[in-house]
Amino acid sequence: MGQTPVLDQFLGSLQELVQKRDGAKVQDFLQLEPPLSDIYQRMVTELRQNYAPGAKAEAELLQRCEPLVPRSKGGSWTAFPTFVKLYLVFLRDMNTDNLLETYNQLKALLNQCVLALGDSQMGVVVLPTVLYLSKVLAKLAMGLDRRPDLIAHIRRMEGLAAQDESIEKVTLVEKSANVVREAFIKCLTDRTGTPGPHGKPEGKRIGIYLMANLCLKLLFQCGKLRNAEQMFASISAQSPPLAYFPASQRVTYLYYLGRYLFANNLFFPARIALQAAYDQCHRQAISQRHLILSYLIPCNIILGRFPSQALLQRPEAQGLAAHFQPLCRLIVRGDYLAFRQHLFFGSPTAEWFARKGILFTLRNRCEILVWRSFARKVFMYGGSWGGPQAQAQKGPPPVLNLKKLIVATRWLQAQHASSGNSPAITNLYGSQVVSEPTDLDYARLEGADGRASPATDQEILGKYGDYLAPDGFYTEEGRLHPNQPGQLVDGDPKEDYGDYELDPYAYDFDDRTEADSSMMQEIESIFASLITQGLMGGYLLHREPRFAVPGARIKGILPTGFPNVWQTISARESQDSNVPGWVQPRAPAVAGGGRVVNLAGARPVGIQ
Amino acid sequence: MSNPTTQKTDATEQPPPQAKPQVLEEDDEFEDFPVEGINQTTKCFRGATKLTLQHSDWPQEEAEQTSGSTANGGSEHLWEESWDDDDAAEDFSKQLQ
Repeated sequence: MGQTPVLDQFLGSLQELVQKRDGAKVQDFLQLEPPLSDIYQRMVTELRQNYAPGAKAEAELLQRCEPLVPRSKGGSWTAFPTFVKLYLVFLRDMNTDNLLETYNQLKALLNQCVLALGDSQMGVVVLPTVLYLSKVLAKLAMGLDRRPDLIAHIRRMEGLAAQDESIEKVTLVEKSANVVREAFIKCLTDRTGTPGPHGKPEGKRIGIYLMANLCLKLLFQCGKLRNAEQMFASISAQSPPLAYFPASQRVTYLYYLGRYLFANNLFFPARIALQAAYDQCHRQAISQRHLILSYLIPCNIILGRFPSQALLQRPEAQGLAAHFQPLCRLIVRGDYLAFRQHLFFGSPTAEWFARKGILFTLRNRCEILVWRSFARKVFMYGGSWGGPQAQAQKGPPPVLNLKKLIVATRWLQAQHASSGNSPAITNLYGSQVVSEPTDLDYARLEGADGRASPATDQEILGKYGDYLAPDGFYTEEGRLHPNQPGQLVDGDPKEDYGDYELDPYAYDFDDRTEADSSMMQEIESIFASLITQGLMGGYLLHREPRFAVPGARIKGILPTGFPNVWQTISARESQDSNVPGWVQPRAPAVAGGGRVVNLAGARPVGIQ
Repeated sequence: MSNPTTQKTDATEQPPPQAKPQVLEEDDEFEDFPVEGINQTTKCFRGATKLTLQHSDWPQEEAEQTSGSTANGGSEHLWEESWDDDDAAEDFSKQLQ
C-alpha cells in the first residue's frame, strides 16, 4: 500500500477538531460539493489509488477512521467513524454524470451522519455537518425535481418505465424531507440542559428550527404539507420558545408556519404568523418580504382587510397590486359572475394565483364576501327602510324582499350574457345562480339539442368498445375466452328503453316559476350562510322570503345589517390568540406552579 | 384519448425546458438569509463554506420600515378595513324600485 500523506493529514486534523468538539470546523473540513479544491482532489487520488472499491478497502478505511473518536468514550460513538468512512467513499466514487446515484449516496451519507448526531455526548459536534449535508441534499433533490431531464437517461438505462418518472421525482424531494426530519427530531429531543417549552436553545436544540425550516422547504416543494402536521405538533410540545432563536430562523419558520395554517384554512392564526414574519424580516431582504406579502395579503383579504396603497407601493410589493387590486375591486363590486370568471381555472387572471397555490382558497373563501357586497347593494337600492327619518321611530324593522335579489341576479346574468363575457344561465336543472361548465369528461355526451343524449350504437362502440366488446374476456372458471370483434360480451340488450324517462332531473324547462323558486332557495341559503357567519346582521323570514334588520337604531341600518367584515371576524377569532406551532415565551410566573386561575366569576368574601 | 399526441407535439415545439423552472425557482423559493463574517480559517482543508450555525440575526430596528409616517412604534396604514361601496349607483338600482 502506497503513501497517503493528504489523507493522513486530513484524518489527523479531523481527530483534533473532534477532540476540541469544534463542530463548525468539522463541517468545514467535510467538503463535498464540486468543484473541490486542489487538496481534496489530491486526497481523492490517494483514495482511488490505495482504496479501490471493494469490501476489503472499506474495512481498511473504517479501521483508519476509528481513532477519530476519543478513546475515553470507550469508542461508543461508532457512528462517527462509519460516517467519515462513508464520506471518503463518497468522495472517491462521486460521479456527477449519474446524479441519481450521487443523490442516493449523499442520502446514505446524511443518514449515517444523523445516526452520529444521535449520540447524547458527542452528537452535537456533527450538528453543523448534518445541516450542511441536508442543504446539499435538498439542493440536489430540488434541482432534480425541477430538471427531471438530467436523470431521465439514467432511468432509461436502468429500465425504469417512463410513467414512473412523475412518481419518482416527487419522492426524491420527499425522501430528503424524511431524512431531514430525522435530524430535526434528534435536535428537538436533546435532553441536555433544560429541555422542553421552558428551556433554552442549547446543545442540539439550537438546530431545531434550522432543520425544521429545511424540512418544511422540502415538504412545500413536494406538496406534502400534511406531513408537516406532526412536526408542528412536536414543536408545540417540546421546543423552546421561538423568540430565543435568531431572526433569520424565526422569520423563515413563521413564513412556512403561516403558509401551512393558510393551506389548512386557519386564516386568523395564519395572518398572525405571516404578519410577524413580515414585521421581523430584515427590511433589506426584499425577496423574502415579497414572498411573505404574497401570502399575507390574500390571508387578509379573506379576513376582510384589503392591502392599502401605502403597502402596495412598498418596494417588496412590486407586482402584487396587479394581482390583488382587481380581486379586491371585484369583491367590492359584488358581481359574483365577474368574480368567478376572474378566478376561473385556466383563465389568465387565475394563473398566478394557481401557481402560488392559493387559487382555490381565494375562490372558495372570497365568494361569500362578493355575495355580501351584492346583497348590500340590493338592500341599499331595493330594501324598504323608510328613509333616514324612519330610523328613530317605532315600527317594523327594515326589510329586504328577497325577490329583489332574484331580479338583480337575473339582471346580472343578462348583462354578462349580452356582453358575451360568460355563458348565459342555461341550466335545465341544478343551480340557477351559477352556470357550471360541462365537465370535460362528459362534454361529448351531449347531443345536438344540448341535452345529454345517447349517441348512436356506432359512436358508443367507438368510445367504449374496449369495455363492451373487448378482444377477450375471462370466464367464470377464470379462463381467457376470445371474443368476436365488435360483439357485445354481455349479449344484445333485450329491453328497449326508448320510451322511458332516463333523466333523473326530469324538468320542465319552459316553466320559469320553478326556476325562480329554485333560485330563491339558493339565495335564502346564501343569506342564511352570511347570517350564520356574522357577515350579515338580521334574520330571515321564509314564507314571504325577506331579510329583516332589527335593532338598527343605535348603529344605523347598513352597519347593523352588513357589519364590517374584518371587525366581525377579528372579534370572533381574537378570543384565542394562540397560534398552533408557535411556541411563545412563558408568561410571567404565577404563584402555584404556573397554574392560572380564572377569577372572573369569583365574589368577594362575605357577600352572599 | 388525444392527450399523448398533443403533448408530444408540444414537446417538440417547446424551447429547452430550463427557461420556465428557473423563473419559478427565483420567484417561489424562500431563500436563506445571507450570513456575514464566516470562516476566516486558512488551514489547508478550508473550503468555501457558506454554512455554519451562526445564522444571521438582527435587532428589530433592522426589520422595521423607516419610511413609516409614525415614528414611535405606530405602523403605517397598511390595511383597509372599510371598503364597502356606498356611492356608486348600480345600473340595476332602477330595476329594483
